[in-house]
Amino acid sequence: MSIERLDLFHALAASRTEEIVVTTMTATLQWPLVSSHPLDFDFLAFGMGHAADFGLGLALARPERKVIVLKGDGGLLMSLGSLVTMGRYGPPNLLVLLLENRSYEMTGGQPLAPKVDFVTLARGAGVDKVERIDDLTAFEIELPRLLTEPGPHFVVLPVTNSEPLPPVAHTDHAERVADLRRGLGLE
Amino acid sequence: MIPSVERSAPAGVDANRAAATILDLGFTDLVSIPDGESRHLHQALLDAPGIDVYQPTREGEGIALAAGLWVGGRKPIVVLQNTGLMEAGDALRGCGIGPHIPLFLLIGWRGYPGAMDGRLPIDSAYPYTEPILDAWGIPHRRLMTDDDLGVLDEIAATAEETSLPAAVVYGYGFRS
Repeated sequence: MSIERLDLFHALAASRTEEIVVTTMTATLQWPLVSSHPLDFDFLAFGMGHAADFGLGLALARPERKVIVLKGDGGLLMSLGSLVTMGRYGPPNLLVLLLENRSYEMTGGQPLAPKVDFVTLARGAGVDKVERIDDLTAFEIELPRLLTEPGPHFVVLPVTNSEPLPPVAHTDHAERVADLRRGLGLE
Repeated sequence: MIPSVERSAPAGVDANRAAATILDLGFTDLVSIPDGESRHLHQALLDAPGIDVYQPTREGEGIALAAGLWVGGRKPIVVLQNTGLMEAGDALRGCGIGPHIPLFLLIGWRGYPGAMDGRLPIDSAYPYTEPILDAWGIPHRRLMTDDDLGVLDEIAATAEETSLPAAVVYGYGFRS
């Protein structure tokens, strides 16, 4: 089973209120189709594989606010140690949603190593709350809990995409940072 | 060959004095993968109240973590070896230089003391350290003895004024 990614994003956007949402890679292309929020943060090209590390730092800095990271399985493989650091320091307000499509979609769909089990990897790294959600209905049921229950949470979501991808937004990186800090009342 | 530095004070820096300076400068978080030369500083800051310490698994990860901390309103300092600096290149470009995040980097100069003593370096890390920082346009100063502790203040100010990464390179490590 799997979830159409844009449907998943619609569901998340409908429930999201004041959480920070960090996106990277293909999520940066589709999340803006469902959300335009001052606490959306496009991490594309900020450092390969490091969106969850950045999200961890944000979550540690802003304990009063949930931080949601939407990242892909290919990106996670670029920084697997992130799971260990999340397991060691991950705060209750961190929610990582791993969009598992088993490929480097952004670069043409090259397949990832087929036997990797991301749930097992995260549990083995010491992340406390790890789960897999396989369909949209289950995600919609579990989402209110994920948004309110103390974590950190690491959720594996098998996704597909049948929609054309919008082009990459060539926005200034410093402006992205300034916008988020303004959204947080820091500038 | 990198020229040696004339120094009147003993080589190396008192870890407790360096830690006190770091705390005085208002750093709130240490992101550090300690090396043999920084372990006493790492411990001094672990023991100090008022600063949180995070030990990532690799330096690029640490740079991104520190960037998130800063964007969220904290003031992190990143301690890493020059070998880790090389590993962290993409993260430093993407999470520091590009988005104008004023990361303070305290970089261990692995290989420098041995090279200055005329020994064959154990690897190729030391001659590339300052040229890499120059190539990235990252301002940097050397911290070789207690007499140089003022460079911490200077580089912290540079990072804040430019809103860009800036670095201090320590040549002889920190003593307990």
